[in-house]
Amino acid sequence: MAIHEKHLIRPENIKTHDNLVIDGVDVSGHWSTFIETRVVTDYNEQLQDEIAALPGGEYIHRCWQCGSCTNSCTVNAINPDFNPRYWIYLIRVGMESELLRDKEIIWQCVSCNKCTYACPRDVVPEGVMKATAHWLEMKGHTAPSNSTIFDEEFTRQVVQTGKIEDGRILMNFLKNSKQPLFQDWLIQMVKQMLWHLPIKYLMGMGLATLFQPKTKSWGKARAAIEEHIAEEKAAERAALGLDAAE
Amino acid sequence: MSTKPVLIVGGGPAGLAAAHSLASVGQKCIIVEKKDSLGGTPIHSGYAKLVPSGEWAKDAIGGMVDRVTGNKLITIKTGNTVKEFTGKPGNFSVKYSEGKGNSVSAAVLCTGFTHFDSINKPEWGFGTFPDVVTTTQVEQMISSGQGVRRPSNGEKPKRVAILLCVGSRDRQIGREWCSKICCSVSANLAMEIREELPDCHVYVYYMDIRTYGLLETKYYWRSQEEFKVKYIKARIAEVTSDGDKVIVKGEDTLVKRPITIPFDMVVHAIGMDPNVDNMLLSSIFDVNLEPNGFIDRQNSYGGMGASSREGVFVAGSATGPETIDDSIAQGQAAAFSALAIANSQLAAAE
Repeated sequence: MAIHEKHLIRPENIKTHDNLVIDGVDVSGHWSTFIETRVVTDYNEQLQDEIAALPGGEYIHRCWQCGSCTNSCTVNAINPDFNPRYWIYLIRVGMESELLRDKEIIWQCVSCNKCTYACPRDVVPEGVMKATAHWLEMKGHTAPSNSTIFDEEFTRQVVQTGKIEDGRILMNFLKNSKQPLFQDWLIQMVKQMLWHLPIKYLMGMGLATLFQPKTKSWGKARAAIEEHIAEEKAAERAALGLDAAE
Repeated sequence: MSTKPVLIVGGGPAGLAAAHSLASVGQKCIIVEKKDSLGGTPIHSGYAKLVPSGEWAKDAIGGMVDRVTGNKLITIKTGNTVKEFTGKPGNFSVKYSEGKGNSVSAAVLCTGFTHFDSINKPEWGFGTFPDVVTTTQVEQMISSGQGVRRPSNGEKPKRVAILLCVGSRDRQIGREWCSKICCSVSANLAMEIREELPDCHVYVYYMDIRTYGLLETKYYWRSQEEFKVKYIKARIAEVTSDGDKVIVKGEDTLVKRPITIPFDMVVHAIGMDPNVDNMLLSSIFDVNLEPNGFIDRQNSYGGMGASSREGVFVAGSATGPETIDDSIAQGQAAAFSALAIANSQLAAAE
């Protein structure tokens, strides 16, 4: 019998036997390829609450599975395995093992928000994707993505100085994400800047990179922001059942 | 008015509403009820809070019983059934099982329904595993004050599954109708369970959800948004047990994946069957049944509650799955139709 839903077969469920004899009949060969049914044997009852505790995931419980998000999705048009409707369902009923199978695809959301406008129940699927990617990182299922590494450096500078300094962000991002500093595109960009930018701006940028000026009287604001971030992080980690310290 | 009384068969919500309506305009009537007390299924089956009012059945329906009890225009014959019904509109002759009889101007059949007996779906484990119960039993656990407990060991369940469409929309067992109210009742019970036992997770297995009209927000979404009840699109194939947990097997159709999930309790959302006595009622009152076995209604455009026999009216879940609110409305409407017959007889006498 033909297999109608080949896309449901995962490689690890295919069992091949080079030598197999059943009831005295040798059935070795390509037809002795067996596909094991994957059965869901339990629900993780905390999953929906955990996603809902992260920014963007708050409205996941409103979903009625109409598929408007998947239908309007930019990424889904390129990769049919990128299916926000499906992941929202898995999270809502607590099928964690199924969700984890797609952990390398979920973060690919480009945040175009077409789903947000298409959603008739105001689920904000884009936010749910963000929260889910965040959840996967916090739980250690995926390594921090480049965008997370970038965000961390960006935020660190804002909190420290009240300002951002493009050169340093770029350098630290490349360092933290273990990428070489000398990227072809970067060298090209710097050359173009040296050629085209007025000398005044170049000097300004150079000084800022070297001395990292701070916003005036930044100390109090910085303390307040740091306190707030610490509180939020602690709340998120507590909601996910993780230790308070990172 | 000195007309002949109107006969009301059945003392549930429809019958109580019909009787009260008739008495409130001075028309005499007789309620015949086969059970020993009035109230109908909501009382006799021990319902808890009603959908959609949220009032306790014993208060809401109990109030309707109190309203007719002691009314001089209403004669109540409990523990009684109709044995013979002959004659024509304005002048029917009735004989009761107690032996006596009298003449009446019209009759309203408010004979209700019978709960589906889950034993007829053996694959879902009712009668085999003690922790498989019906919505009616959960209603009783709540209304008795005992609380929702596993029948096998009296413990609080940690995880409950509610299976919808048990005895409804099932061609295999000859019940193709939707019982209309079980989705909302189940959502209501799920919320009551979550309220009593916040640590208990409730999963509803459905084919589609029919919390129609305004019930959509009040039950379907409220149960999900406020009470975190989970809805899973799967018609369960079988219910088994490992000796402690009840194991539910099926296919989650949205994921296209087989599921085998353990539960502490499984609740059958049982449907509404035609009253088991409908064949008998059909022959006594000479009224037709519709193909599913409920009492057939004539079209509603000319007058409410007409059956196939002139002068005999029908109201409530005798006509098909019906809510309590609509049964009451139909009881009142049928009472008005019956009153017209009683009054035309009065006009003819004058």
